[in-house]
Amino acid sequence: MKRRDFLKAGSAGIAGSLLGGAGLLAWAPRAHAATISKTFYITDGFIDQIDGTSVYFKGFSSNADSLNVPGESMIVQEGDTVQITIVNTLSTSHSFVIDGVVDSGAIGGGQTKTIDFVAGSYGSFMYYDKLNAPYNRLLGLHGGFAVMPQGSSNELYSGSPTFVQQYFWIFHDIDPAWHDRLRRGYTPNTEYTPRFFTLNGLIGRPPGAPGNGDPTLDAMHDLRSALHGHVGDRTLVRILNAGLCAQSVHTHANHMEWLTENGQVRPDVWKKDCLYLDGNMGALDVIFPFEVPPDSWPPVTTGTYPMHMHSEMSQTAAGGYYMFGQLTDIFFE
Amino acid sequence: MFNLNNRQRPMMGMGGGGGGGGMGGACYVYDENQQANPNLVTPDVTFDRSIDMNIPLTMDDGNTITMWGFADGRGRMMGGGTFPSPPIRVIQGQIVHTTLSVRMMWAHTIHHHGIEPGWESDGVGHISWDVRGGSYTYQWRPMHPGTYFYHCHTNTVLHAEMGMYGALIVDPPEGPGTLLSGGPTYDVEAFWVVDEIDSRWHTLSWNAGTCGEDVGLNILNPDYFIITGVDGTGTSAMNTPPISATVHVGQKLLARYICAGYHPQRIRFGGLTGTVYVSDGRPLPKPVQVTDLRAHSGERYDIIFEPTTPGEYIIEADVTHWISGAVLGTVRTNVTVI
Repeated sequence: MKRRDFLKAGSAGIAGSLLGGAGLLAWAPRAHAATISKTFYITDGFIDQIDGTSVYFKGFSSNADSLNVPGESMIVQEGDTVQITIVNTLSTSHSFVIDGVVDSGAIGGGQTKTIDFVAGSYGSFMYYDKLNAPYNRLLGLHGGFAVMPQGSSNELYSGSPTFVQQYFWIFHDIDPAWHDRLRRGYTPNTEYTPRFFTLNGLIGRPPGAPGNGDPTLDAMHDLRSALHGHVGDRTLVRILNAGLCAQSVHTHANHMEWLTENGQVRPDVWKKDCLYLDGNMGALDVIFPFEVPPDSWPPVTTGTYPMHMHSEMSQTAAGGYYMFGQLTDIFFE
Repeated sequence: MFNLNNRQRPMMGMGGGGGGGGMGGACYVYDENQQANPNLVTPDVTFDRSIDMNIPLTMDDGNTITMWGFADGRGRMMGGGTFPSPPIRVIQGQIVHTTLSVRMMWAHTIHHHGIEPGWESDGVGHISWDVRGGSYTYQWRPMHPGTYFYHCHTNTVLHAEMGMYGALIVDPPEGPGTLLSGGPTYDVEAFWVVDEIDSRWHTLSWNAGTCGEDVGLNILNPDYFIITGVDGTGTSAMNTPPISATVHVGQKLLARYICAGYHPQRIRFGGLTGTVYVSDGRPLPKPVQVTDLRAHSGERYDIIFEPTTPGEYIIEADVTHWISGAVLGTVRTNVTVI
């Protein structure tokens, strides 16, 4: 078993985000479709948790010697040809699926397969391994995929409310007992009891905690998760739930403009401070408007506020550790 | 196969470093840097709240569960609290002060959920500070009428489940009876605050789990189901205004529904059709007619009913497991139309 430190793996994930991942400050639309190529390496390994337990994961990784959970996010444009090469470094079969878009079929252990598809309709999607569902996805084989409307830099869909930057929030919940059974080739035989709750693969590390402020360890400061903006920097967040728990996404400072639910455009845009995120691949698209917090007196334009799940069990790790769960901070700069 | 080191040792023990806090064995409680709110002005209205960590709640089966909550009053040393905590009701545009007094033995905050003030008044410990051994004043000016609630945001997973919340209502300048300026009015008001209780959690101390001990806060297995502070599984919430309501044909009933638990809920209106005008304190662009709603933790819906047929209508809310979706329990109240 090889060892890597998490810092290195985390940095690799961020540095490689040519197609997205970090908050995308300026999406440059193209007049013509392009071919977008990406290689994912299916790898596995253990990630040590805050309480000292070591949990087995698999990931769509950006390098053969890394483990990325979730896989790196991708953003393409309607009409692009997307060419995905999957290098399965493991001995078990896996697949790459975007529901309604592409299904690689089983890719055997040690095999490499390249799939091509045309990015059809706009929207936010999860790519994942659909084999042995939901187990392979729960082990970590998932990531975010977005299709921008053709020729648009600031809309989710043609005519949608506009934004200036975009993020993915990919939530996950983890039952180490299930991961261990799956590692040993068995089907889980216990009630699903998640003990860890992650945002883009990380947990919160509040001030004073080791790793606090480290963007590769702390979900509160992960550049892929923490929202940074000035007043007026309207921010699209593509929210995907790889886990099984239904969650309530809660923002402080501003209500969210609720654009879609599970891939469907809402009939009109409600402003909500809590949104119901279905478990088992629920999805939401929201705009965090970065408006002056409306109830502030005197009005303020700067400050830090949290986003956290209000289904508060998800704010814990290993049965305690409040704030070491699915949360991040929102920085008004 | 790789081994990624995501493990760190928690900071434990006494204070220091902006992190641990440590008094009473708590970790990641941020009381040591507490300052006065720097932006206070003369308020239009002030609410004083203190802490009560021993509020008995008797269930329909005769068992008594210990709840925690806020009491009305400044500097009260202990006692006087209710479950839910006393409501805060204000008029849109008022400058409001909420002053929280906390004894040295615990840390708490008040977060006005859905109200969006400056960060010093948001009541989130890791961003500002937790309140301990003194008082702190939150300042806010609500600009959007509707239904909110306030709750403690220290070790929130536990403190909110223990009952540290109360209703927060923002009325438009017209006052109670009008939901939105120039918008819908109502004659009768009901409060449907639906929550669940896992009595195992109600034996824990205020700082449980904060230093990393496994106290099972990832597992909420409720054994009691509550509507607006009473056991909702029997008859306690029936014919008990302002949970239940009696309206005449031609009158309008406003139901303020708050999903105060942590598991998702499904509420059914017993054959009545209501119109949702406001959710989470924001008017809907197009009000929607509903016979039932699903909601998750922290959501609020303001629903107006204009019943036309006399009768008794049973309002039922299922609490459903956040993973399996199984119905864990159901609370009931009634609307009587005469």
